[in-house]
Amino acid sequence: MEIPATGEVADRLAAVGALRHLADRLEDAAVEEAMRTGWSWPQVAEALGITRQAVYKKHAKRLIAAGVALRRRTG
Amino acid sequence: MTTLDQIITQAADEARADGTTTIEAHHLLLAIARTGSPTLTAAGLDHPTLRTALDQEFKNSLNTAGVRLDGALPPATPPPSGSPQLGATARSALERGLATAHRKRDTTPAHLLLGILQAPLGTVPRALDHAGIDRTALTDAARRETTDDH
Repeated sequence: MEIPATGEVADRLAAVGALRHLADRLEDAAVEEAMRTGWSWPQVAEALGITRQAVYKKHAKRLIAAGVALRRRTG
Repeated sequence: MTTLDQIITQAADEARADGTTTIEAHHLLLAIARTGSPTLTAAGLDHPTLRTALDQEFKNSLNTAGVRLDGALPPATPPPSGSPQLGATARSALERGLATAHRKRDTTPAHLLLGILQAPLGTVPRALDHAGIDRTALTDAARRETTDDH
């Protein structure tokens, strides 16, 4: 059976991918903003509801490359 | 002539501009448009036109879930360059493209374009359909371009 690229079910499946992409983009921007304004990794992790390791692994390389001054400890 | 490696390098830049290091089929398509494709040019599909069609597809898909995007996404520093990965849709496009070439080393950007356009479902066909592009005609044109090369 041939499935059209657009249509009810195809649209709902595409929405899942679009929402994931949107969430990733929002996370990148929000984490960067937090770290630029002095938040620590544990604070960002707690606010996102994920582990510090997960947030560090996902964002540290990008933010260090961007020259964001990263705080090591909570304060 | 543009090589596949050059297309993939360009596609990695397109992916980074999208905030990811994972190259997907639509990044390959944008890269092919950027480096110049007779088939895409003849169909009026330059890089900005495709970017607009893909952005519109993104908004349409979000609308399906009741999310309305006003203006651009918030800016973030793109991921650093290096170690880009080929995502599932890019792999499929490459496999389809390789299958249309006689030998692996004969694979040209035109074969890759054909591989991208042969995907029946996903972001690229949706974006082209929304933009009112005749995908069958475009695929046929891409196929003709692959045979012109020999």
